[in-house]
Amino acid sequence: MCLRNALTAAEPFEFNLIPGWPDVKNVFLIAKFELVRLLSTRRGLVSIVAFAMVWLVLLYYVIFRASRVLAQDGGSGLVSAVLDWLGMERLTAWAVPELAVYWFFGLMLLPLFCISLTADQTASDRSRGTLRYLVLRSTRWQIFFGRYLGQLLVLLLFILISIVTTLPVVLYRDAGGLPDWLALMPAILVNLMIVLLPYTALMALVSVLAKSARQATLYAIILWIAVWFISGLLMNYFPGLSFLDWVMPSSQIPLLLRSVGWDALQFAHIPILQSLLLLVAGWWLMQRRDL
Amino acid sequence: MSIFSCQGLTKKYGSTLALNELDLDIESGPPVALIGPNGAGKTTLLSLLSGFIRPSAGQATILGEKPGSASLHGKLSALPQDANLDPRLSIARQLKHYARLQGLSNSAAIDAVQKSLDTVQMADAADKKPDELSHGMRKRIAIAQMLMGEPKLALLDEPTAGLDPPNVKIIRDVIARHADATTFIISSHNLDELEKLCRDVVFLDKGQLVKHQRISSLQEQQGVLTVRLNDVDADAFMQACRELPGTLNISLQEQGSFIIDYDSDAHPAFDIRMIELLNAKGWQYRNVSKGRSLEDKLFD
Repeated sequence: MCLRNALTAAEPFEFNLIPGWPDVKNVFLIAKFELVRLLSTRRGLVSIVAFAMVWLVLLYYVIFRASRVLAQDGGSGLVSAVLDWLGMERLTAWAVPELAVYWFFGLMLLPLFCISLTADQTASDRSRGTLRYLVLRSTRWQIFFGRYLGQLLVLLLFILISIVTTLPVVLYRDAGGLPDWLALMPAILVNLMIVLLPYTALMALVSVLAKSARQATLYAIILWIAVWFISGLLMNYFPGLSFLDWVMPSSQIPLLLRSVGWDALQFAHIPILQSLLLLVAGWWLMQRRDL
Repeated sequence: MSIFSCQGLTKKYGSTLALNELDLDIESGPPVALIGPNGAGKTTLLSLLSGFIRPSAGQATILGEKPGSASLHGKLSALPQDANLDPRLSIARQLKHYARLQGLSNSAAIDAVQKSLDTVQMADAADKKPDELSHGMRKRIAIAQMLMGEPKLALLDEPTAGLDPPNVKIIRDVIARHADATTFIISSHNLDELEKLCRDVVFLDKGQLVKHQRISSLQEQQGVLTVRLNDVDADAFMQACRELPGTLNISLQEQGSFIIDYDSDAHPAFDIRMIELLNAKGWQYRNVSKGRSLEDKLFD
């Protein structure tokens, strides 16, 4: 009875599963377990605290101050001129300067955070043998996509936490800033998640090959440099292959920095296509990998 | 009913041939012993059947399905060698997750976890993390995960390796209790344990099938007695045995363990005479049994 109470209390929520879709059910169960793992393990809680501390520093020393400067500049001062020179002049067009700064730092820093956080999707479970227990109960594609979806849920949680912390800063500057913040926040959330899709997919792929999170990160760096070098070489010798410019994750970031709010969605097809390619490759490897 | 069969099953690791065109058919029923020397292909065979690895050639069917098929979830279970639970999460939480993946509802999963932990006498460890447990306890937890949902076929790879006698006994009792509902295939080097549990034996060597038959049919049980003694002068015992009517031959197998061939037709009560002899001489025995041990049957 004691065990029943403990486990029932540990169940924070229940997904409404789609009836008649047993295959997808396990994907959701595995994804949900990733959230449980984050919220109930010391390692997960340490990542949350570390992220929160870094973020609070960034919020206070960068977003708070930079947004003041941006708001005071009014689109015609030195800051605007510098941003114009850097090709980021559209940052001054955001109705909420705090979200403009958040957007900039989110695009720059969250991919790095994502690589670190999502590196161990299946690697250590494979070397420990835990995947063997799972594969007796789930197909490999359920495990692969369940873990991927789980990591996206974890990232969504982190982005939600960080973006919500900008609200007090906005309200401190402008007590009536809530409607603009509410209008822009979902656009940032959705677009940042789309930006992180290929990074998470890349880590899902390398995690299939690696024995640990550290090795997965190393593989990702090697793969990244190799693809960057080869695509650069090919484009140099064969100018007709200029589309290879879009092969690298984050290749659309300069375009996103020139977008405001939902406008950024017009470039969503690039990371989505990158993610699909990486996921198909990862799934193919997962099907063939010895456990 | 055939619970699994394979034809031409082959697995290569680089240039090493771990399984070589294995043809095997095993029926549901009492536990089956899977034995052979190191490198014989036992773990490879169990890993192939569990869907952990892919064959290089050949095919296998388990309960009519291909290894790794979703239809086998909940019906096929395994105790993989050297597989561990996540050290960061409690035992109960992980087992419940597994039970949910097997298709059990939240409530049924909790009951299944409770029941399986009770079965291996580890209910107290539910809230503990794997690293807080001893090797033997972790093995029992692995048995618990294997038993969840009452599978039709369970594949055990070295279930008692490195365990102390109390843990071995618990695991043996658990297997014996569940043998009516589940067919166990047990790979082990502990032939004494296998002999106690199993009816059939599959003997692999160099990736090929050497023998597959009833343990009882490996050799005629009549006319052979195995005697294990405590602290007895081997020469004195062997001399006394030679003087016992019916004795044909006696050999010392290892310290304190003797195999005696006797004329069972002329002396059907030879085993009784042996016990009387031991009693008369005051020699303490550990075991007197008809026939040879599984090890002697297979490797002599």
